[in-house]
Amino acid sequence: MARAIEQRPGTTMVEAMRKLRADAESYQGIWSWLTTVDHKRIGIMYGVTAFSFFLLGGVEALLIRLQLTTANGGVLDPDAYNRLFTMHGTTMIFLVVMPLSAAFFNLLIPLLIGARDVAFPRLNAFSFWVFLAGGLFMNASFFTGGIFQGKLGAPDAGWFGYAPLSLVSTGQGIDFWAFGLLILGISSMAAGFNFIVTIFNMRAPGMTLLRMPVFVWMTLVTSFLIIFAMPIITVALFELLFDRLYGANFFNMAAGGKPLLWQHMFWLFGHPEVYILILPAMGIISEVLPTFSRKPLFGYPFVVLSGLAIAFMSWGVWAHHMYTTGLGTIANSAFAVSTMLIAVPTGIKIFSWMGTLWGGSINLKTPLYFSVGFISMFVIGGLTGVMHTVVPSDYQQQDTYFVVAHFHQVLFGGAMFGLFAGIYYWFPKFTGRLLHEGWGKLHFWLMFIGFNITFQPMMILGLLGMPRRIYSYGSGTGWDALNMLATAGAFLIGLSILVFMINVFVSLRRNKRAGDDPWDGRTLEWSLPSPVPPYNFAEIPTVRARDDFWHRKYAEDEQGRPVPIVAGGAYKVEEEEGEEEAETGHGIHMPSPSFWPLIAAIGLPIMAAGFIYQESANLLPMIAIGAVITIVGIYGWALEPASE
Amino acid sequence: MGLQRTHLRLAVTALLVALLVLLVGCGTVDDPQNTFAAEGDVARKQRDLLIIWVLGPATVILALVFGVLLYTLIRFRRKSEHELPKQVHGNNRLEIAWTIAPAILLLVIAVPTIDAVIDLGRAPDFDDPLTLRVNVTGQQFSWAFQYPDLVDADGNPLTVFGSPGTPGRPETVIPAEMHIPVDREIGITLESVDVIHSFWVPKLAGKLDAIPGRTNRMFLNATKPGSYSGQCAEFCGLQHADMRLIVVAESEEDFQEWVTDQLEGGGATRSGSGEPDLVSHGE
Repeated sequence: MARAIEQRPGTTMVEAMRKLRADAESYQGIWSWLTTVDHKRIGIMYGVTAFSFFLLGGVEALLIRLQLTTANGGVLDPDAYNRLFTMHGTTMIFLVVMPLSAAFFNLLIPLLIGARDVAFPRLNAFSFWVFLAGGLFMNASFFTGGIFQGKLGAPDAGWFGYAPLSLVSTGQGIDFWAFGLLILGISSMAAGFNFIVTIFNMRAPGMTLLRMPVFVWMTLVTSFLIIFAMPIITVALFELLFDRLYGANFFNMAAGGKPLLWQHMFWLFGHPEVYILILPAMGIISEVLPTFSRKPLFGYPFVVLSGLAIAFMSWGVWAHHMYTTGLGTIANSAFAVSTMLIAVPTGIKIFSWMGTLWGGSINLKTPLYFSVGFISMFVIGGLTGVMHTVVPSDYQQQDTYFVVAHFHQVLFGGAMFGLFAGIYYWFPKFTGRLLHEGWGKLHFWLMFIGFNITFQPMMILGLLGMPRRIYSYGSGTGWDALNMLATAGAFLIGLSILVFMINVFVSLRRNKRAGDDPWDGRTLEWSLPSPVPPYNFAEIPTVRARDDFWHRKYAEDEQGRPVPIVAGGAYKVEEEEGEEEAETGHGIHMPSPSFWPLIAAIGLPIMAAGFIYQESANLLPMIAIGAVITIVGIYGWALEPASE
Repeated sequence: MGLQRTHLRLAVTALLVALLVLLVGCGTVDDPQNTFAAEGDVARKQRDLLIIWVLGPATVILALVFGVLLYTLIRFRRKSEHELPKQVHGNNRLEIAWTIAPAILLLVIAVPTIDAVIDLGRAPDFDDPLTLRVNVTGQQFSWAFQYPDLVDADGNPLTVFGSPGTPGRPETVIPAEMHIPVDREIGITLESVDVIHSFWVPKLAGKLDAIPGRTNRMFLNATKPGSYSGQCAEFCGLQHADMRLIVVAESEEDFQEWVTDQLEGGGATRSGSGEPDLVSHGE
């Protein structure tokens, strides 16, 4: 149908659009990316965008480290410093680790459960475009302070924007921050619902809940955390914006508001958020370790249940961020115990991973390096977390570099190492090419050593009384040498990221094909060609076991040792029956590309800008324009025919 | 068995010593905000709790995990492409063991933790006439210390202010000085007039937030005369780094002399004028 229209010469708008859609369906050109609803392409866009923000947040980190290299540093003025660390934190959490995890959800969930796409492909595209819009909008704040006079305009109240500091902050930085987070929240909520529905409804026959790969489980748990946590910060941000834009008094003490209300709401969101950041990485590790040990995950039900337990308990620990606010002995004791107990399911995971390695045949490749890096750094992160639960000693560590070191141990040593493990593991599946091992190991060692040189000294700095978020310190403090070390480490991390980028570049240009199953994988995605065709599965598989693909390759003898199944076994025959269809994917109905999600997303930052500048620049009409664009986008989306 | 236990103990001691060397090597007691060089009862209790109940067990666990991980990686590394290990799916007993063991360990740690929370969470003993009351007020970006019981002839309480100096020029900061007598309990009332600050003198006591619209109370003491450096620990805006303070602990006589001097010059004073600052900033 589409092809017939394409051949007819004509220059009307409608026909031009049809031509573009035809292009999109044939997977060529920029338009095919802008309108794609393919979960794999959306995943790649998520990954590339998040990585770009990672570079931005990394540069911010390096500037911070340069300023702190020596006592009385003069690289940045205090104003710029405050804005940079606020943006560094916000960027790394909301624009890097969360969307990088989303990239993996997108790329993998349909493949792991044996589906052809997610439940709502266009909603999925919408999630991505909203994320991009929110990220760009938030970073646009840099230009609002008079950048040509050398003044940055970004938010300056820290990534957790404590009221009333976030109320009294002048300029538009905080407004951009708050609206940016609201926009990103829409993206996360849409993605959260999408993956919950996908995982519950789109599993291949036989893929029971307890046969799902752990990564799928962790995606499910994370998605539930997202849909419950995001509304809390949404309310808090609305209240903050009402206070700032319309003189409401939610947090304004002078008018009877409560500054601590912000902290309660922020951390009630913020602590589950920590697990939103780490659980996907834990899921990745739980896939990588079995493959690279040639052994099933040790204690699968325990790993799954501990993930659920962590998620559940994460709602009862928020006040451990607030021990020094004077909540009283009862609250502090209760939250000390709840926080200690959350270490138990975390421990189960770590021990189970080690149980997986034990007795295996460990393939020492880059993904395994990063996974082991994750385990070792995460153990330190967990143990220093337990230190904070000892409330009286936390009175000393709270808001010092010890805390900074602790959460980087979890979010960089943990989440980022886990995500890199995933990148090295699944790269061949989506590009058809393996990442180079030599460059990969160089990347790992530089990053691992750099990480430890950066953050372990920070632990000691915290114990030596260095508070976080200070733009300068005196020479008599005894903090010089360790800060110098930390800065050196940070640049080593920077170098490692450069090595990674070279690796991607070099590996993509190498003419070495990875093959469909380069790691002797266990889960369904490795049964597919690399790169995966648009329709994923020519025929929807029937799942007979956990690690189904492994069991297609190996049977077990009486001692539980695997025996390779010779080619031409029962499974093979079944697959070949579907082969004819699979050649081109003809006859497989895939959702049509659509530009409406992109249009719906564009309206949001326009509306937000209208709200921010409604008075100062008389931009009230922009709210209406943005709203109309979004509504048109949603209507166009709703009324779009399913296929042409 | 006995021999093994000795070995274990030796290993643990060696690790703790190594850790201590690391800490001492990097920080010294002279470092003005070293939380390990506690000179007050509150800070000492907080430090000991950390070292005995957390740093100790955590170091052992860390060493064990790292040891086993390293051993596993070396012993079970793939020697040939065709290796196919036994497919072990798990071990319920082990799983239950490593669920219960950490839970018990944590509950054991919870006991001294809660004990110390209650102990340090009590209100200052304002009924005791020996307790020195100090009202601490945080304001962007300096501290004010008011002694409500020490008044001059006109009835104005003795008050000490600091000054944040010029933004970006930390050498212009004049930290507020809180003079206290050694070995007496100091009952502190904490308030803020603008945003949230946090009062922290690492060698004497952990921090407590000064929150607008709220009054927090804490106590501390110094067991040795000296100058103890502190600073705001909750990010409070542009010059957060400059919001520093000094606690000067001195003998009862010296303290009384200081009080008299101050009161004769009028109730309100600005501290530190012309005096070198404890933490030197720029030359």
